[in-house]
Amino acid sequence: MDLLLWTLTVPLLTAGVGGLGGPRAVKELTMVGGLALTFGLCLAVAGQFLAGSTPATFDDALRVDGLSALVLVLCGFVGLLSGCYGVGYLRRNERRGLVTPRQRREFYGLIPAYVFAMLFVAMSNNLGVLWIAVELTTLASVFLITFHNRDTSLEAAWKFLMLGSLGLAFALLGTVLLFAAGQGALEEGMSALNWTRLVEVAPGMHPFTLRLGVVFALIGYGTKAGLAPMHTWKPDAYREAPSPAVVLMAVGMLNGAMYCILRIHLVSTAALGPDFSAGLLLTLGLLSVLVAVPFILIQWNLKRLLAYSSIEHVGIMAVGVGLGVEAGVFGALLHMTYHSLAKPVALFSAGTLAQLHSSSDFGEIGGGTLGRAPVSSALLVLSAVIITGSPPFGLFFSEMIILRAGFAGTHAIATSVFLAALVALFCGIAFQIGRVVAGPPPAPGTKAPDPERFDIALATASVAAVLAVVSAFYLPGPLVALIRAATAVVWGRP
Amino acid sequence: MTANVLILCAAGMLVTAYLMVGQKALFTTIRLYGLQSFLLGLVAATIAIAESRHELFITAALTVVLKAILIPWFLMRTVDRIGIHREVEPFLNVPASLLICLGLTVVGYRVSTAFQEGARGVGHHLIGVALSLLLIGLFMMVSRKKAITQILALLTVENAVFLVAVGVTSGMPLIVELGISFDVILAVLVLGVLVQRIVGRFESMDISRLSKLKG
Repeated sequence: MDLLLWTLTVPLLTAGVGGLGGPRAVKELTMVGGLALTFGLCLAVAGQFLAGSTPATFDDALRVDGLSALVLVLCGFVGLLSGCYGVGYLRRNERRGLVTPRQRREFYGLIPAYVFAMLFVAMSNNLGVLWIAVELTTLASVFLITFHNRDTSLEAAWKFLMLGSLGLAFALLGTVLLFAAGQGALEEGMSALNWTRLVEVAPGMHPFTLRLGVVFALIGYGTKAGLAPMHTWKPDAYREAPSPAVVLMAVGMLNGAMYCILRIHLVSTAALGPDFSAGLLLTLGLLSVLVAVPFILIQWNLKRLLAYSSIEHVGIMAVGVGLGVEAGVFGALLHMTYHSLAKPVALFSAGTLAQLHSSSDFGEIGGGTLGRAPVSSALLVLSAVIITGSPPFGLFFSEMIILRAGFAGTHAIATSVFLAALVALFCGIAFQIGRVVAGPPPAPGTKAPDPERFDIALATASVAAVLAVVSAFYLPGPLVALIRAATAVVWGRP
Repeated sequence: MTANVLILCAAGMLVTAYLMVGQKALFTTIRLYGLQSFLLGLVAATIAIAESRHELFITAALTVVLKAILIPWFLMRTVDRIGIHREVEPFLNVPASLLICLGLTVVGYRVSTAFQEGARGVGHHLIGVALSLLLIGLFMMVSRKKAITQILALLTVENAVFLVAVGVTSGMPLIVELGISFDVILAVLVLGVLVQRIVGRFESMDISRLSKLKG
């Protein structure tokens, strides 16, 4: 069987096994083993690509070029991290007697299913298949958001599903309109919706229909990415979903949605020139970065704080692409890579703190966590330093590349606003995290949190932290080659 | 002849959308949605006959079976189980809602004139209806409080997208269409389960009560 098909089959089987009943040890082993194998297969696919071939199957409906390979590797990596952390996460809840058999089945079934859907997104070359895959990610994540079965989780899941479905309806309309714009030039059958085919016939497309299609598709997939003003589901979903699922949302889904946006952007660029969709992306990206500022300053919940940080980062990537210069695109993709390495550390440590205190609200956690959970607090501080783009870590470099590209190009004013927002966000996140970690401890009478134990979840967080730090100084050669290949695709030199 | 049938069906879809906006009984609203989907199936079947494109028959059959029969049946069963049969007072009263929908229809038709001429000469009408339907669906989504009505609004938007697909393109590739239909069914199932959980928890499916999460 084809390597691409294996890469999809393995997480799907893992989900199937996990969704059935069975002893806990078997489920844990299946999930970690299955996701590790999946990551290995992603690496193998990327290796095949770097060796010079373009893995493809089903009439090119699934096809891995540089961009796909990069997103595939990042998603596979995050899937494995989330699986390892998830095992520890559920064990902690089991020890406190919080897990019902149904929850166990949902957890071990849906996490690999979510990974499957993300990988499916990353290797879709057909815009119809891409839409189907994105819808699958939405459906896989709904019951992860309701996992804790609180009033608020139902609210979050409802908003997520309604907004997500509406976004996807827009994306579908966008896809249909792109297809309609190419009528006459496109043949019948499955391959007519292939992205490669659409880019070929793009110069002859009907401009009005195409424009409308691009706008609808960008808004639709932008909803999934969490670009402002379609970001409102994100803070709610992040607060309610269990941390392993949030990591998949914050990194895997974000990268996948960015992937969709870039594909649409490329069709638009081929047909209408670079300015139309790039301008749209620049606006949405800048808006996302700006929207995050006030909400981070007034934030009352740790996981919502990280959601707004996520909105900021997807905004940074959109700005990087929207600047319309090659260095900006490279910066955006580098940013995606570094963000995928750094964000899990933040979410894992925040998740551990939330679990120990049985809540992620600042009021419930109270200040001074460094005394109660030293390792997680230290990791949270480290990750905050990284995700705010401080030197010498990776996100600093990618942000600098984007800023330089912006000031060198024609968007100096937009870049200045962008820079000001980044500085404000740095201060906001530093203030909030400082409050949690070093602020005044809660009054002596309050209920003591669970003690921090060294378990597999904490180990995963530590490993992720080491990788995030090391990556600032050393990125493996093949990964750099992938980023360059992805830049070449997005800059239109596949 | 074909053109007349197509325009009649499309206009019928628009009428059902208006009736849905003016309707408070949930069962009737669901039946109206079923009728709307049936008309969509009829549009696809008419085009399939007129241009002897057989794969469109599958689209038509799929639309009728899934959207005109299966989804309405499932939604009615959900309503029955919950035992809430009427929409509470919507955020906006019915005459004002209908007036707004009229405005939206004008906008939809205005935008549709900029499209390229459809192969059948009725392309503009179909796109005009589809865009109006889309806008009315969006309006329903923001103006109604009941979870079931919001699902119906979403499905109306979905129907509008399919009308564009049938009316302007030579039909989406079959596999893609099957995949999309499968996803839509799955989404409705998930939404139904979620509604039941919400009702079980809040003893109401009034969405305006879901407002704890802010900031």
